[in-house]
Amino acid sequence: MYETTAARRQPEIGVEGPLERLRAEAGQALAIAIKDVRVYYLTPPMVMFGLLMPFFMFFSFSVGRGMGQEASLARLLALTTFFTASSAGPVILPMERRVRTFDRLLVAPVSLISVLLGKSLVGTFFGLAVAMVPLVGGLLAFGVRIADPLLLAAALLGSSLAFAALGILFGSVPAQNPGSIMMPSTLVRWPLLFISGVFIPLREMDPWARALSYASPLTYAQDLFDYAVSGAGVQGAGLDLVVLPALLALFLLGALKLHGLSRRMGY
Amino acid sequence: MPPDEFVIDARELVRDFGKARAVDGVSFAVAAGEVFGFLGPNGAGKTTTVRMLTTLLEPTSGRVVIGGFDVDHQPYQARRLIGLVPEEANIYTELSAWDNLMFSARLYRVPGDLRDGRATELLRTFGLHEKRHIKAQLYSKGMRRRLSIAMALIHEPAILFLDEPTSGLDVQSALAIKQIVRELNARGTTVFLTTHQIEEANQLCDRVAIINADRLAAVDSPERLKQTMTSVQAVEVAFSGGGPRMESVLRRLPGVTDVAKHGDKWRLYTPDPPALMPLLFDLAGQWELQVVSLNTLGPSLEDVFLRLTGQKVGPSAGGNGPGTTGAGKPGRGELRDV
Repeated sequence: MYETTAARRQPEIGVEGPLERLRAEAGQALAIAIKDVRVYYLTPPMVMFGLLMPFFMFFSFSVGRGMGQEASLARLLALTTFFTASSAGPVILPMERRVRTFDRLLVAPVSLISVLLGKSLVGTFFGLAVAMVPLVGGLLAFGVRIADPLLLAAALLGSSLAFAALGILFGSVPAQNPGSIMMPSTLVRWPLLFISGVFIPLREMDPWARALSYASPLTYAQDLFDYAVSGAGVQGAGLDLVVLPALLALFLLGALKLHGLSRRMGY
Repeated sequence: MPPDEFVIDARELVRDFGKARAVDGVSFAVAAGEVFGFLGPNGAGKTTTVRMLTTLLEPTSGRVVIGGFDVDHQPYQARRLIGLVPEEANIYTELSAWDNLMFSARLYRVPGDLRDGRATELLRTFGLHEKRHIKAQLYSKGMRRRLSIAMALIHEPAILFLDEPTSGLDVQSALAIKQIVRELNARGTTVFLTTHQIEEANQLCDRVAIINADRLAAVDSPERLKQTMTSVQAVEVAFSGGGPRMESVLRRLPGVTDVAKHGDKWRLYTPDPPALMPLLFDLAGQWELQVVSLNTLGPSLEDVFLRLTGQKVGPSAGGNGPGTTGAGKPGRGELRDV
């Protein structure tokens, strides 16, 4: 029989330092992310909403419209990170709530923010991995030249993190059926897509549409990808680089609030 | 017992879902090293209480202290002391038993050099070692439940919460889990067990709390609870023969309050079994019958539950009657919804 003794049990409760706690929480968040990658990648909803949707959108609205290669690549990168990174949260969280595996995380000695950060990393990895397809294709097959590779790396990471957190925000709405979250989240993402500068470049927008575009997180990602790939952004890369991390924090904060609501409501 | 020896202390717990009250002013304390049973019918508020004790659900009012840590203000410290096994095995079916345990070990910050050893030990204990690399979606319900318990034990919690641990399991799996609970407790783990199986609580628990209609009806050891039921005692007798008039004759015996036939045996309810026994021998002599067997029966935990919930106790109550709850027969010894 497996042996437990009082001496072996949790001798250090309450005495660990902040740095030790931070390191432990980072390890726990990473463990959650790796587990989710193994469990949920390549599940049908993830493939449908994360893998196929961005390419479907790109080919529907871009091909044959005389766009330059750099502009096409920037658009495709913005679309893939947006749809792919934000697809994980609405799939994983309701599914885990329904089969009660999310309780396993909530009852563990790990803060909720670390749990949500771990979940965000799943979408982030997914967004980065899928974005490599058009990026490598653009570089190798079409000979696209990247204006600012460092900025491109920042754009990929920043937008994947922010959009993954957006997915976590959607997934944190108290509901136990993935369908109750996924379809509404798609209905929210589509308008965000159309008011952003993805399909109508920001510089060609009417002033009212331009003002509206600031409400879409995708606007900042698209603009940053434009700067990085072709050097032809509109708003200023500095603004985009500030707004994307701010959105990450805002979405995670919203998700925390929703989970607090869930705990009170009993989901 | 002084309060600082309690590892679970629940005070006036209330939980509302909208206008419906699921738990209403429940208070109890569990001492270190106890197996504490939370007994009640489906829908009585057992799982809701466990979710409040384990920080998953915020009480509408009331307070929970786990190992000296208030779960509302120090949930992190409280969580490090507990392991939770919910009613439905919440394992990752896409992963193998080994991977499930490794994930739990990382989640509970088990040091890297201890993980493999503990996981191997648990897998052997729970009879899963041979199939440790097979995805859990191919496991039986009993195997999944055992894996779920193993995952809750990987960090060697001081307090283990088990929500209906044998519900829906075959007899063999249920027996294995009961044995594991006993062994864990023998090594010092405090066990908080919810169940609607009366016999399970009777066999495993040092003390039981009976919850009914969202409120606690009693908290005590099973035997002490039974002792409060002196009115529900019986004599069970089997004769070598008898006829259709036997029941009416038995009913007329002095002190007999009720009679029920159980197979080839007659169960006679009486407040004074010793006084009834010689009368039964006299009756056998008069009718030229032999007494094949004669037993006195005390009240069962089910009788206690029925009395505490205001239901009829005895042969017409639909239960097994005194002292015979459970006995492994399907559907017997289970509490009915009230």
